[in-house]
Amino acid sequence: MSPSLYVPGDGPLHRLPAGAKLAALAGLGIALFLVSSPIVLGAAALAAAGVVAATGVRLARMRGALAGIAIVVAIVVAANAWLVGWREAAASGARIVALVLLGYALTLTTRMSDLLATLERLLAPLERIGLADAGKVALAVALVLRFVPELMKQADDIREARAARGLRVGPVALVVPMIVRVLRSADAIAEAIDARAYPPAETDSSRHGPGSADHDNA
Amino acid sequence: MTTRDLVLVALFAALTAALGLVPPITVGFLPVPITLQSLGPMLAGLMLGPRRGGLALALFVLLVALGLPVLAGGRGGFGVLLGPTGGFIVGWVVGAIVVGALAARLGRAGARRAPDLAGAALACVVGGIGAVYALGVPWLAMVTGMGLGPAAASMVVFLPGDAIKVVVAVMVARGVQRAYPIALR
Repeated sequence: MSPSLYVPGDGPLHRLPAGAKLAALAGLGIALFLVSSPIVLGAAALAAAGVVAATGVRLARMRGALAGIAIVVAIVVAANAWLVGWREAAASGARIVALVLLGYALTLTTRMSDLLATLERLLAPLERIGLADAGKVALAVALVLRFVPELMKQADDIREARAARGLRVGPVALVVPMIVRVLRSADAIAEAIDARAYPPAETDSSRHGPGSADHDNA
Repeated sequence: MTTRDLVLVALFAALTAALGLVPPITVGFLPVPITLQSLGPMLAGLMLGPRRGGLALALFVLLVALGLPVLAGGRGGFGVLLGPTGGFIVGWVVGAIVVGALAARLGRAGARRAPDLAGAALACVVGGIGAVYALGVPWLAMVTGMGLGPAAASMVVFLPGDAIKVVVAVMVARGVQRAYPIALR
């Protein structure tokens, strides 16, 4: 698994703080649903394409993602044109293009660690009343990043082992050993985390800030 | 929530990601290979219960939002969540909670008796299919503007694959529970 869909760069969008980009995306997302004119939505789609172009990311790196978006939009427009009418099809197609491209621009230009830091800030009020723990969220994300390659390796091993015996691998024969093997290591991982006293336990009075969270995994 | 719970939550979020990354598998009589990713919410609900299962899928959705390529086909990022299929992905969180809540009442995971297996299967049908579509279809209808009826009708092609995944999820949960039991909560 490649670590993230983020592409390093130094454009204006890269320099904008993650929180500002998230707030803009939320606002624009709502605004796009309040508009139904195909002309306005078409202009929004063009503007969103301009935003993606302004990321400065080379087109070759985006080809796969843009092709995926194009396929979805083509299906939606075709279905809507047949079911509802061309006007509505154009409007919804343009709306999806605008939404998805804006979201894509955010993903391209924002480091995962910056998004996590923004999430920690958003969680801070919940944390104060004891409903959330930003440190635990960061730890959980780090654990997933560690587990995914491990699970993929297990899947490969299981597939190879079955192929060596001339067996086809069905979903049950694949997933059961995948889970069991990693579950065995889960206990050891939990013990290792506890042994290092991380994250601070719920009963622990010392409340570390989110800054103590280690997320150099981006 | 203990550290072990946290590790289990992370494990099932990672499993959901890994199931989307392994190559699609051909199952029995179905003509097209199916991706196993939507097994994630069913398995998390069946094996971790509503709270941890829901947290596992919420963590998975967070990873999608953070821009990690964890969705089937290496997709990810805010764009996907805002797109036509975003409701199904968010619906997995609710799905895992419903599967977990029902499974805890209807059947002991890992038990071999028919009523327990039927209970687990029913939980997967209601939570893993019903609850997921209950969010995904209106979302699809809203984003595309195609109306609820056609949006729901377009889901029919996915139902055979979903039905197979219910059976797979129940069999996997049973297999894992027998090899390495996790306490349901």
